[in-house]
Amino acid sequence: MTSIDLTDPQTIAFLTDALTTAGVDGVEISGPSGTLRIIMSAEEKVSHAAPAPSPALSIKAPMAGIFCPPRPGSSEVPADLPRTVAAGQALGFLRLGPVLLPLAAPKAGLLTRQFVEAGALVGFGDTLFQIEPQS
Amino acid sequence: MPVAVPVPEASATKLRFDSVLIANRGEIAARIQAACRALDLKTVCVCSEADRDAAYGKTADSFLCIGPSSATKSYLNKDALLLAARLTGAGAIHPGYGFLSENAAFAEAVEKAGLVFIGPDARSIAIMGDKISAKRAMIAAGVPCVPGPDTALPDDPSAVAQIALEIGYPVIIKATAGGGGRGMRVVAQAEQLHDAIALTREEARQAFGSAELYMEKFLRHPRHIEIQVLCDSHGNAVWLGHRDCSMQRRHQKVVEEAPAPGIAEAIIAPVGEACVKACQQIGYRGVGTFEFLYEDGAFYFIEMNTRLQVEHPVTEMTSGLDIVQEQIRAAQGVALAITQADVSCNGHSFECRINAEDPESFLSSAGVITGLNLPQGHGIRVDTHIHAGYKVSPYYDSLIAKVIVHAPTRAQAMETMRRALGDTRIDGISTNIAFLQALFQDEAFAKGETDIHYLEQWLKLRSKP
Repeated sequence: MTSIDLTDPQTIAFLTDALTTAGVDGVEISGPSGTLRIIMSAEEKVSHAAPAPSPALSIKAPMAGIFCPPRPGSSEVPADLPRTVAAGQALGFLRLGPVLLPLAAPKAGLLTRQFVEAGALVGFGDTLFQIEPQS
Repeated sequence: MPVAVPVPEASATKLRFDSVLIANRGEIAARIQAACRALDLKTVCVCSEADRDAAYGKTADSFLCIGPSSATKSYLNKDALLLAARLTGAGAIHPGYGFLSENAAFAEAVEKAGLVFIGPDARSIAIMGDKISAKRAMIAAGVPCVPGPDTALPDDPSAVAQIALEIGYPVIIKATAGGGGRGMRVVAQAEQLHDAIALTREEARQAFGSAELYMEKFLRHPRHIEIQVLCDSHGNAVWLGHRDCSMQRRHQKVVEEAPAPGIAEAIIAPVGEACVKACQQIGYRGVGTFEFLYEDGAFYFIEMNTRLQVEHPVTEMTSGLDIVQEQIRAAQGVALAITQADVSCNGHSFECRINAEDPESFLSSAGVITGLNLPQGHGIRVDTHIHAGYKVSPYYDSLIAKVIVHAPTRAQAMETMRRALGDTRIDGISTNIAFLQALFQDEAFAKGETDIHYLEQWLKLRSKP
């Protein structure tokens, strides 16, 4: 089954458009990474909504390159997920010829997903990781 | 319909690449991909974020997003394109049209990176990209040019006035680095000359980074005629016929046709031969187009486009050649399989550019295509990348499809186009289809030989209550 990135602004925009077209007031989608709730209107409804979970962060490729894991020799998607990562910790690298561009965690949190395997060609903006920030 | 040209034995020429990165988007990316597949070449398509869902990406061997939606950060980003070529192992880069297709520095960077640029070498692009050096090259090859000096205008106003007097008013001032209808101004009388020079210089400086101008005779009722050339890297060159692209709005072509109606072969053949000679003299490789103004039986060279053109399909229809495949073969180092004697012109062809734009204001119309019906049938071809559900992006040119027809005569081709446009339905966005339909009902256009100013005047008359 294809997973949906509930933090992706384009996904949220698409869902919002779809709800508007369908005339639906709102929707709530729960998944392993959290819950997304969209309410189309009516401010009082918003006031009844439960506090939103801290949004998951998607880490995207800043440019095209070959994805490399943080430890040489790792060839598979890591099996130790979820795991805690520190802010600034290298989650992997993008290889651009002889240059390795580090992919750092923007915040400390729980690394819940890695979307690419070692050696994969990734494009600009491709989602690489998902982190649930720790407050 | 285009037919296959005999391909020389593979063993006769060592091919230079087996995969092509298509550094473009939209219909031309799909068109180039089709040509590559016909030649058994692998394709690498690149895209910006706005084009992530492009259908041609799904049929490419590799598809890679190289940057944000803004063209300057994606399709015009030389480093990102070269990096994509390196990451995917592409052996050549096809620039398509627009974007970096006539950028000499990019062509040079591609070759320096050890890749093949599918187009002429950087030197040829630079010569023809500069209006003055292009004019000199044309004069040297005997190609007729518009009256006017083949040097930049001097700074001294009295010297400029003397040049204008010698040419005879009206004159047109153009930026030497200009193109696409920008950086030019018509001067009808001597009193307007000084201000016009100052204004155009400043515009040229801002738009092209060079304030250099030149001056030519302004023709009052010219037609826009083009000659398509095809050259290999062994000194062989042919011209594939002529096109009339006089139907223009704000210097942008709207409808193109081949051959140009009403021009005798005896008049145009020497011009075609001179174009071939010019190509051989500058060592030109690949496809190219010589653009002329045509008035009172005389041709005047305007500029050369050193790339594939939007309107190449009409020449494909009349010549029976696949121009994109021929261009790629030339870049492979393969010698031309045809001579001038093999080139013929059969029937008549029209192309209509279908633009996502408001039919009255001509402003771009972005949005989702909710329904689509494209015309089909004998003598009808559609080059496009759109489909139902396709999102027309506001970031790029509004061209979304080209409807091309071919029939034995011009009148029959016009009738086929009327039918094709009538069968075309694009829902969810505004398009210029109704405008094109009205144009194909116009009597003067049906007779042929309308000049480059005709469409603007036609639009003005239409807009009057």
